[in-house]
Amino acid sequence: MKEERLSTYLKDRPAELEEAKRKGVKIIGYFPGNYVPEELIYASGAVPICLAYGANRRAVDAALSVVPNIICPFARGQIGERILKTNPYYGMVDMLVAPITCQHLKKVAEVWEYHGDMEIFKLGVPHKYDGDSELDYYADRLRALRDRLQAYTGNEVTDERIGEAIRLYNRMRELLKKISLLRRATDLPLSALDFIKLNHASFCADPAFMVDVLESVYGEITRKQSTTKADLPRLLLLGPNVSLGDYEILELVEASGGRIVIEEICEGVRYYWHNIESNGDVLQSLARGYLVDKLPCAFMRNSTRKRLDFALQLARDFDVSGVIWYELLCCEVYDAESYLFAQKMAERHIPMLVLESDYGPTNVGQFKVRIEAFVEMIEKGTEQ
Amino acid sequence: MIELLGLCGFGAQEMKLQLPRFKKVFNRLGITAVDIERGKQRLIKYYDTELQGVRKLLRLFVREMVNAVLAREEGKTKLIYAYMAPCFSMFAPALLSKSKEVFAIHHAWAFQTVLGCIFDKMVPVLEAAERKWLKEGGVAHCSNVKSVAGLFILDMIPKPDLLITSGYLCETAPKTLELMHELYDIPVWSYETCQDRELKDYSTATERIVMLAVKDLRSLIGRLEQVVGFEITDDMLRESLDGRSKLKESLGKLRNVIENSDPMPISATHDALYMALILMTLSLDELPDAVDAVDTLREELQERVSKGQGAVKKGAPRVLAILPPNHTDPRLEHLVGELGIAIVGLDPAFVVPYEGKSEDPYVAMALYVQESMFTPTPRRIPLILEGCRRLNVAGVIDRFHVGCRTVAGDALVIRDAVKKELGIPVLLLEWDNFDSRTFNYEQCKRRLEVFKTMLVNRPS
Repeated sequence: MKEERLSTYLKDRPAELEEAKRKGVKIIGYFPGNYVPEELIYASGAVPICLAYGANRRAVDAALSVVPNIICPFARGQIGERILKTNPYYGMVDMLVAPITCQHLKKVAEVWEYHGDMEIFKLGVPHKYDGDSELDYYADRLRALRDRLQAYTGNEVTDERIGEAIRLYNRMRELLKKISLLRRATDLPLSALDFIKLNHASFCADPAFMVDVLESVYGEITRKQSTTKADLPRLLLLGPNVSLGDYEILELVEASGGRIVIEEICEGVRYYWHNIESNGDVLQSLARGYLVDKLPCAFMRNSTRKRLDFALQLARDFDVSGVIWYELLCCEVYDAESYLFAQKMAERHIPMLVLESDYGPTNVGQFKVRIEAFVEMIEKGTEQ
Repeated sequence: MIELLGLCGFGAQEMKLQLPRFKKVFNRLGITAVDIERGKQRLIKYYDTELQGVRKLLRLFVREMVNAVLAREEGKTKLIYAYMAPCFSMFAPALLSKSKEVFAIHHAWAFQTVLGCIFDKMVPVLEAAERKWLKEGGVAHCSNVKSVAGLFILDMIPKPDLLITSGYLCETAPKTLELMHELYDIPVWSYETCQDRELKDYSTATERIVMLAVKDLRSLIGRLEQVVGFEITDDMLRESLDGRSKLKESLGKLRNVIENSDPMPISATHDALYMALILMTLSLDELPDAVDAVDTLREELQERVSKGQGAVKKGAPRVLAILPPNHTDPRLEHLVGELGIAIVGLDPAFVVPYEGKSEDPYVAMALYVQESMFTPTPRRIPLILEGCRRLNVAGVIDRFHVGCRTVAGDALVIRDAVKKELGIPVLLLEWDNFDSRTFNYEQCKRRLEVFKTMLVNRPS
């Protein structure tokens, strides 16, 4: 990928945001998982920043002074970054929007709230996504968030502005999806690492800039010839999340000769697969789009079957011959699900490898051996 | 077996009548003569079986477990089970009292109390779950859900017509149900609220989430009506709640005696029985039995108090225990008492007052969200501090369940707050209160001894 503007932009972004802050622009952080509509924050004139750094082992360990190690390493990382104060994004955030998703991230929000050094809005996410009362509840919380943002930024958040923001973010999602779908081809136009980094860039980049970059990337990769060998094992990546900086797993798969061609993770299809209606009652549209229409995360009720069916569909559409299930240590709901997914994949002769990470250095050695063996097994056409 | 059943409060006539059922159930659960002997010894060592009230309580649990195992073959056609479903025992009396065909139970509690606390036989149940999707190791799956799943995997209990849970505390319970539905085709239901209360608008937010809970409880009752085949009216629920409030009142009076007596009149090993009792599903006809058991125990304890007798020495340091006691293994609570520390209170009993109206039975049920474990950390902490002051404790033992992200995540923050605000020592004990394998006698003893020294040497 030759898009070079992005790396320079990301390097300069913290300084740019600090400058904006000095001019009175609010920086609103939010936790990942796709339950916080960035559109609302953007429409308020504030800058949305997704706090998704996770692979900093020092931060993960620093959090142990506040929460025990049963809290997952990603969630601990969010506490640790606040303690260490080395990541500029965590230091510049004026207000946190904490979606009430899994217990791990909920606990992070409560710990931050207890320490009381930052404005926090807890965004209630009902864990049932298919009922009217839950949709109404979530829509009501989005209205409350809009009101809080208005009060906090001093800017009126009109329906028009929200509609414009939705259209902009829709364009970004469309482009991510278009780029992702190109990976159905035998010749892979870009690696999973490149794709996930593009997605990660959207967490802190200005959406208009990001749209421009994605259009350029799309144009570039549709023009170029792939250099990837067509017969490499095609893999589906499943799991909770691949956080910012947590790229070891992707690099190891690539080095082992496997190719991840699609990801069903928080930073994968769950974000960009569906667009949001930008006309009519925009808050209701956001509520529907973020709660109902998109693929539910594993902490949601009755989400297992829906995600399993979707994963099987992805396996067919992207012609994968193996699944890598990448979860974080102590993520109990994903770990429980991995048993069922492995069983159902095996019924379709698709082997699945479960990897559990704590972002620790000891992961690498055993991951390498296990991934190499897994890729080799697929290449030889033998099942587990 | 006769001797064991006697310790569990069964009279001669009832025993004669029930013995074939007990034998059948014990055989099915693999409870052998050796287990029965161990059960007797554990009952004598860990429980005050000389107290009639304790025996009456134990009788209720044994009876409930036996009824559960035999429910289907004894003609119950609608089996409703629940776990981690805090409102269940509040509306279950309505179901049980309306139809003899219905059997409703918080099934894990009965097994944990009898199979675990008495016979020390829960480990095979946990291992059965660990061989499936609730594996051992760093992920630290909750052993409460392992118990629930293991009982089905080992076929110890008939499959229900509906298995209910809630997401009031965690995602683990509902996820376990989803897996059980997928793997064993068990019909399941989870009722919900939302855990998004902020400290600064706590009352308004509580009102909001209570109303969400009410809507979902109504959906649950609708689903239950389909399963049991009759209407569940608000009047039935009110009658249920009234019946249960008598039990709650009796337990409150019992707790009062324990909290305010020096020496503490009964060992903390019994705390698990009171908690399991409040979650027990009893018909309106059975509720008086439970009230009688608690009242009997209270009267016996009052007599002890009047004679100056206790489970620990007079003047023993008083502590508050955070989180529920061990549900399958009384050894830690017993050790605490042996070392001369009095656990006089437990934080799950602390409740944030509700400012709204609670005449609607659904609102009354939803108010579980105001109990300590269900409140977010920033609100839970003042509740605990207030409890410490009220009980005038010299220290706090926070025995946090490693399988539960919600409560374990609070432990260090609670310690920080208690030490800072009250200046009293806090002992953090990491355990799994549904898994006897996590108990390490020597390690716990050393830590408790050091803790006791801190309590005793604390400047007044």
